[in-house]
Amino acid sequence: MTLMSLFQYDFMRRAFIVAIALGIVVPCIGVIVVLKRLSMIGDALAHTSLAGVAGGLLVNINPVLGAGITCIGAAFTIEWIRKKLPQYAEMSTAIVLSAGVGLAGVLSGFIQNATSFNAFLFGSIVAISNAELIAVVAIALLVLILFFLMYQELFYIALDERSATLSGVPINTVNFIFTLLTAVTVAIAARTVGALIVSSMMVLPVACSLQIAKSYRQTVWFSVLFGLSFTLIGLTISFYAALRPGGAIVLTGVCCLLLVFNLKKMVCR
Amino acid sequence: MKIKSLIVLTLCMAMLCLAGCSMKAPEKVSTDDSPLKVIASFYPMADFADKIGGDNIAVQCLVSLGMEAHDWEPTTADIALLEEADLFIINGAGMEPWATDLLQTLSNKNLVVVNTSEGLDLLENDESHDGHDHGDQDPHVWLNPLYAKQQMSMIMEALKELDATNSKTYQDNYEKWANKCEELDQNYRETLSPLNHKDILVSHQAFGYLCNAYGLNQIAIEGLSPEGEPNPARMAEIIDFMNKHQTKVIFYEENTSSKVAEAIARDTGAKTMVLNPLESLSQEQLDAGEDYFSIMTANLKGLQEALSD
Repeated sequence: MTLMSLFQYDFMRRAFIVAIALGIVVPCIGVIVVLKRLSMIGDALAHTSLAGVAGGLLVNINPVLGAGITCIGAAFTIEWIRKKLPQYAEMSTAIVLSAGVGLAGVLSGFIQNATSFNAFLFGSIVAISNAELIAVVAIALLVLILFFLMYQELFYIALDERSATLSGVPINTVNFIFTLLTAVTVAIAARTVGALIVSSMMVLPVACSLQIAKSYRQTVWFSVLFGLSFTLIGLTISFYAALRPGGAIVLTGVCCLLLVFNLKKMVCR
Repeated sequence: MKIKSLIVLTLCMAMLCLAGCSMKAPEKVSTDDSPLKVIASFYPMADFADKIGGDNIAVQCLVSLGMEAHDWEPTTADIALLEEADLFIINGAGMEPWATDLLQTLSNKNLVVVNTSEGLDLLENDESHDGHDHGDQDPHVWLNPLYAKQQMSMIMEALKELDATNSKTYQDNYEKWANKCEELDQNYRETLSPLNHKDILVSHQAFGYLCNAYGLNQIAIEGLSPEGEPNPARMAEIIDFMNKHQTKVIFYEENTSSKVAEAIARDTGAKTMVLNPLESLSQEQLDAGEDYFSIMTANLKGLQEALSD
C-alpha cells in the first residue's frame, strides 16, 4: 500500500476530517478542564450520555438528541457539585459517572431490541455518516470561535475563580457557556468516534504540553499541536498496521507522553 | 439425648424429601387428550415442529422473539418448561452449546430429545466469526431447503413414536411441507444458476450451506457487528474486493444496521440489504404471517437482485 491509498477511500477521508476537527477542538477544552481539576469529565459525560441513548430509545425520541440532553444535564450537575465541594472537584466527575452508568444500566434493561441500543452505543472514526460529519465540523467551528473569544476569561477562571471575580470576569456566564460547550462536544464526539478518543484527547495532549510549555498561551498551542498529531498519526498507523483506530490514537498519545517525559529529563540534565 | 433426636429428625426429613422426589416423576399417562408438549430451541425448529405437528402438539420456543440466538442462555423458567415437556427439538451441530449441560441437570426422564442435524453432511466452521464461536461445525443447516426437509423428517419420526394414534396426520403434514422444501430448492436452483456473479458479501457467516447448495461463495465482513470497532485496513480490503468483483450489495442481518456496512456502501456505491439467517423472527414478522418459506423466498429475491448484472 502506498501513501496515496490512504486517501483513496471515502471513509478514510472522512476519518481524517473528523480527526483534524477533534484533534484541534478537544484539547482546547482539555486545557481548561485539566486546569480546573476535572480531567475525568470527558469519561463521565460520555458514560452519562449512554443513559440518554437508552432513555431516548425508550420514549421514542432521537437517541443522539437524548444523549445531548443528558450530557448537558450531567455537565451542569458536575459544575453544581464542584461548587459544593470546591476542594474535591474531581469527586464531582466520579459521582456523575457512577450515576450515569447506573441509570444507563437500569434503563437499557427496558429496551426490547438490544441490537438497536448497541448500534448507538459505539461509534468509530472510520464509520462516519454524513450527518455526523456535518455535526462534528459545525460543533468544532463553534467551539473554536467561542474559545478564542473567551480566551482570557477562561484562563482566569481555570486558574483561580476567586481572583477572576475580583478582576471583573463574569464567571457565571463564562462557566455556563464553557460547560455547555463541553457537554455538546462530548455528546457528539462520543457517539461519533467513541468515548475512548474523546476522554483521552482531553487529557493526553494537555499532559504533554504542560511538560514543555512556559505560559498559558504556549500550553494551548502545544496541546492543539499534540492533539492534532496524535489523531493523525494514530489514524495512519491504524490503517497500515490493521489496528483499531480508537486504541491506536490513544496509544500514540501515551507513547508520546512517555517520550516527552524522557526527553525532558535528558534536556534538564 | 437431644443430639440423637435431632439426628433422627434430620434422617426422617431426608427420607421424606427423597420419597417426594421419586414420586414427582410418575409414569406418563399417554391416554390423555392434551396436546404433546413440544419445546423447540429456536425459531426454525419451532416453525418446523408447528408445521408437522399441527393442532396435535403445543410448541414453545425457548429463544424468544427478536433475541439473538447465538448469545442466548437458558433461564430457570426455561428449565421449568423442559421439566414439563414431552419432546425437545434442537438443531444440534453446535447451535445450542448450552443444551448438553442443561439436559444432564433435568429430572424429566420422559423427555425425548431430537437432534435434527443428525445424519446431515456438516460443513467445517471456516473461522470463528464476529466473536461467537460455534465450535468445529457450521450449525446453520436449515438455510439449505433440502436439509430443512431432513430436519422435518426427524421431527416427524419423533412425533410418530410419541403419539402413534396421530401418526397418519404427521406423515401427511410432512409430505406436504417436504414438497414445499423441494419446490423452494428448485426455485433457488433455477433462479441462481443462470446468474453470472457468485460472490455475496455478508455480515454474518451463516450462509455456508446455502452457498454450498447453489454454487455461491460467501465473503464475511468481520467486525461488521455493531459492537466492535472495525480496523480500516480490513475495510479497505473489502472495498477493493467489492470494486474488483463489482459487488452491488452488502447483506446484513435483520435488526443489525451497521455504521460500518453503511460506510463501506458509501465508498463503493453498493446497497445494503437484508439476508435473514432465520435465527429468530420479530413479533411484527410473526404477526404478518412470515415463516420459514416466506423468508427464504424473500432472501432469494435479494440474492437475485444482488447477483444479476
